[in-house]
Amino acid sequence: MPPDTISAALAIARKDLAIEFRTRTAFLSSLVFALLAIVIFYFAWDPTAIPALDLAPGVLWVIFTFSGLLGLNRSFGIEQSERAIDGLLLAPVSRQAIYLGKGLANLLFVLAVQAIALPAVVLFYNVPVSGGFAVVAAIAVLAAIGLVAIGTLFSSMAVNTRLAELLLPMLSLPFFVPIVMPAAQATASLLAGRPVAEAAAWLKVLLAFDIVFVAACALAFPYTIEE
Amino acid sequence: MALRWSGAHLPPDQAHIAIDPLSIAAFIAVAATFVRAIWFTPLERIQGPAQKIFYIHAPAAWVAFLAFGLVAIASGIYLWLRDERLDRFAESSAEVGVVFTTVVLVTGPLWGRPVWGTWWTWDARLTLTLFLWFIYVGYLVMRGAVDDRAVRARYSAVLGILGALLIPFIHLSVYMFRTLHPLPIVMKASRPSLPGEMLLTLLLAFASFTLLYVALLRARYLLAEERDRLQDSVA
Amino acid sequence: MMPDNAGYYYAAYVVAAVVYVMYAVSIWVRRRRQ
Repeated sequence: MPPDTISAALAIARKDLAIEFRTRTAFLSSLVFALLAIVIFYFAWDPTAIPALDLAPGVLWVIFTFSGLLGLNRSFGIEQSERAIDGLLLAPVSRQAIYLGKGLANLLFVLAVQAIALPAVVLFYNVPVSGGFAVVAAIAVLAAIGLVAIGTLFSSMAVNTRLAELLLPMLSLPFFVPIVMPAAQATASLLAGRPVAEAAAWLKVLLAFDIVFVAACALAFPYTIEE
Repeated sequence: MALRWSGAHLPPDQAHIAIDPLSIAAFIAVAATFVRAIWFTPLERIQGPAQKIFYIHAPAAWVAFLAFGLVAIASGIYLWLRDERLDRFAESSAEVGVVFTTVVLVTGPLWGRPVWGTWWTWDARLTLTLFLWFIYVGYLVMRGAVDDRAVRARYSAVLGILGALLIPFIHLSVYMFRTLHPLPIVMKASRPSLPGEMLLTLLLAFASFTLLYVALLRARYLLAEERDRLQDSVA
Repeated sequence: MMPDNAGYYYAAYVVAAVVYVMYAVSIWVRRRRQ
């Protein structure tokens, strides 16, 4: 990858993160949603029938998915005001740089939410901290990459339609399932103290998905912002 | 709005909007298959009469996936050649495809409930079909939300290709899930080996449903073509 | 003893027929309206 693509991508990522950092609305919404989900999921089930530990993986991955969507929504949403996207397209940066830059910003956003939500779930659901946690973190990162690869592409498409806020989740969710299911299953197995080898199969699926879809979405992206 | 067999008596611009011979042939073929399935095909002893749903469910599933495959192929070629006709083809195949997929998803539970005791099992095939339906619907909703024809075609093509890439991953995920959490033996969707009479009915069903797909695809394509031509003449 | 579940398959055939016919009609109606 040419160095100017990378530096352009980093510049775009820095710009997006700076914009988000100024108001922090999407990030705070995600945190509020995360806390809400943690509380509601706990009280919606009978704790004597279903131990909180069994709920934890599901709650975790619902939080990651929907907070991710909150962040992804604004990814291209911010370019709508005053047609800022035109400025971006006229600048001497490759389309790939735009995709990578925005993807990187989105990835950091999702990772930040994960970094807060994971300890929160451990705290409120009494999840025993064990060696498996390093693997859980790896799963979280791999899954975040997949979610962001898909979401960044669909965000660029959805933002140009009349039903942007409906379309982003509607188009993304079928694609999120082969990410969230392996991730949640592997997380559940690890949190229950099962050997890492069991989760390894799911990790391979996640890795395969990431490789295929990061490539496919990066290749498809230029088609979505043609003039 | 009287139903006429041909448009010969209509003014020239409406003459072609008649029920064409292909559609008539297709509907007769499907009707004949239904008649054969209901009255001239023996009952299956273990599953009972409900087994006959299979003669709709399986061929509809074949068409649903065929239609989607064609959407994906047309999408790929469109991004290469940028020929509008490919986009219209994809649009038509998607709409007809979602109709057949809906039939699969409705007949599936109607078959599952009496034969295996539950309306829905999250097994690989049914789940895959459900996701196919989600992708189709997303595709069509997105098309409805974009006004610019070129943008709509490009977005649809991207979605069509990505959707095709998704299918094997869904299949793999569900398969692994099922391996970890197997369904009780009684629910395994085993296909009984079919004796001659039933096999013939099934094959006829596959043929007539495929013919119906082609007929509906063509009619839907003409709708899209007329719409685009109208838009061009007004522009 | 064969199970008595014919009702399900009547429903399935009727639904399928209705769906296909209604879709075909919808194409015809949309073309006329254009």
